[in-house]
Amino acid sequence: MNTIVPAIGFGIVTASILAVAGVGFTLQFGVTNILNLAYGDIMTAAAFVAYLVTSAGLSVWLALVAGAAFGSVFSVLLNRCIYAPFVRRGTRLFGMIIVTIAVSLIVQNGLLAIFGANFFSLKMPRPASVHIAGMVFTTVQLAIIAIAVVAMLLIHLLLRYTKLGKAMRATAADPDLARNCGIATDRVIDLAWAISGALCGLAGVILVMNVTAFTDTTGAQFLIPVVAVAVLGGIGQPYGAMLGALIIGITSEVAATIFNPEYKDIVAFVILVIVLLARPQGILSEVAARKEVAA
Amino acid sequence: MRLAVTALAAALALLSVAACSSSGGSSSAGGGSSPASTLVVGEFNPFTGPDAAFGPEMVGGCIPAIQLINANGGVLGHHMSCVQEDTRGDPADAVPAAQKMMATETSLVGVLGPSSDEALATVPLLNTGHVPMFVDTGQAAFDHTTDAYFYRITPADDVKGYAMALWAHKAGYTRAAAVFGNDAGAQSNVPPLVHAFTQLGGTIVYNKPFALDQSSYRSEVESILAAHPQVIFTEVDPQTGATFLSELQQLKGLLPVIGTEVSLQAPWLKAVNGAIGAGAMAKYFEGMQPYAPTSGPAWQTYNKALLASGSKVPKPSQWSSDPYSMTYYDAVNIMALAMLAANSTSPAVFNKDVMTVTAPGSGKTVVTSFAAGKAALAAGKQIQYVGAGGPIVFNQWHNSTGAFEAAKDVNGNPVLVGSVSAAQIAAISR
Repeated sequence: MNTIVPAIGFGIVTASILAVAGVGFTLQFGVTNILNLAYGDIMTAAAFVAYLVTSAGLSVWLALVAGAAFGSVFSVLLNRCIYAPFVRRGTRLFGMIIVTIAVSLIVQNGLLAIFGANFFSLKMPRPASVHIAGMVFTTVQLAIIAIAVVAMLLIHLLLRYTKLGKAMRATAADPDLARNCGIATDRVIDLAWAISGALCGLAGVILVMNVTAFTDTTGAQFLIPVVAVAVLGGIGQPYGAMLGALIIGITSEVAATIFNPEYKDIVAFVILVIVLLARPQGILSEVAARKEVAA
Repeated sequence: MRLAVTALAAALALLSVAACSSSGGSSSAGGGSSPASTLVVGEFNPFTGPDAAFGPEMVGGCIPAIQLINANGGVLGHHMSCVQEDTRGDPADAVPAAQKMMATETSLVGVLGPSSDEALATVPLLNTGHVPMFVDTGQAAFDHTTDAYFYRITPADDVKGYAMALWAHKAGYTRAAAVFGNDAGAQSNVPPLVHAFTQLGGTIVYNKPFALDQSSYRSEVESILAAHPQVIFTEVDPQTGATFLSELQQLKGLLPVIGTEVSLQAPWLKAVNGAIGAGAMAKYFEGMQPYAPTSGPAWQTYNKALLASGSKVPKPSQWSSDPYSMTYYDAVNIMALAMLAANSTSPAVFNKDVMTVTAPGSGKTVVTSFAAGKAALAAGKQIQYVGAGGPIVFNQWHNSTGAFEAAKDVNGNPVLVGSVSAAQIAAISR
């Protein structure tokens, strides 16, 4: 029992990273209908940008901004230059998945060619430990939790209270109807790529802040739990992804404490399967359900 | 929703297929494509994936060897080259890579590798294909192999486990945690380590396989600390090692760590140094690796060629004292000398001479380089090749092992802190 409470604390840290990455992933899919499997590699690329920033002697906070900005710009360009032309030519969902896998391999091997098969660490001060209610965090992890909370709050405000958020939700629900109602869906999709890309870049940087050493495959290895978070929450559902991140993050850490750590992922995925058996559309799933009808 | 879930499932399957298909690529490390007359040595090891550190280590041995061989007239009129075959450390990738290598490299005379990650799946293939292999797998399954084309001049994992246990016992530790990755290579260390440490009076208080490359190991760290170990035995990949040890450092401070030779490789040291700091690394960490003295004529020849290898071996000095790079260098020399002794480049013919050119014997001329061996063979003498890694004496199962050394990493430089003799290992392994 005395290790369960700290494990919940560690789970909150993992959940924070998963939430930022998962919300970006699910938002991207929800609005654009493209299952971007290069997402993890863009996270890695953003981490390398942050590495370059901290290696130049600049602050890790600036590195976070640079990583998010890179993710945003790269994602918009990726859509405009590669994904959108395929969509315009009528490439369907499965075809687009192949395209995203190709992009994933190109980005990953590009990073390998540029930086080499080595491991890198962000240059930042060594964190101090902080004890809160039986849980132990480092200052870096508290910063990660704070970043995730702020990011989720901003996403909530954007989706709920801005015209852009409403337009994004409308585009996600039915792009043709949204266009006929006068919404500039192309612009909305661009902005969706920019926002989800920023979350992707931010997730890449906070991931490597937490793991302390990373290589060209670090983000790709993180993609499966990110996809799991999106599926658990209901594909296209940012709030579902937040909830999914909490469930997967905390259960995997608690499972590592109670059972064999080798099975921490397995326990999280067993929960995923059980939830999907009971609720195949995910925990929160309005958009996904509409997409199925539309398909 | 069903469509989206189906798409996700298909996507993950496709992702796996794409990952597998990307592993078969090879590139010449010997300087461009291999002409028909060039004899090929396959560098059959992970160059990507969690054990990507293995491949460059192999290049650090192969390239100096073939450059010296080629500079000394080659083998029976042929030049030699090293060709990378990336196994990705996964049998699913390694088997097709082996099949492709054997099908396309018509002048293949032998391979360096496979490693523990893919050996069980690929050693039978290579043996059936009559490809001499100088493996770096440590799996005990090969301790008594009867595969005629199998050779191991690096210690088996059970020997590594014995050496780690002996070193910890020597330091007075009686409670230890075993932190090994859940990959086959790392796990093969665990049974002999547990057996030996227990036999020496110690207790393994934590022994659970680690899932690799997780974003956090803090729950595992808590469980380990709750078991109160005095020392941690480990073999995990660099990213896992960095995350785990930095979290241990943050939660309660580091404990002494004894790693396998994997943790003395440059990528591991770089990753962990960056995570916990050079000072902590020098204070708490020791790695056990096969004892290979950085002295003597064979090592000097190797090191000179290595440092002169130019762009083909990035940062060559990092391999100067690496026992695995030395043994790969020796393996290429042994194959080349065996070809000369047999007067044939056909593996089926020269394979038996691998033993002939390495076995000690009265009246044999001891040689420490390919050039000296070639000259002695040309003069009609029988030779015993003594390599950069020391004498190589194969037993009836084609295994040759020796002593171990414990090394620290002090500001990026390996510093020898002690050794465990072959006799000590033999005593505990009986």
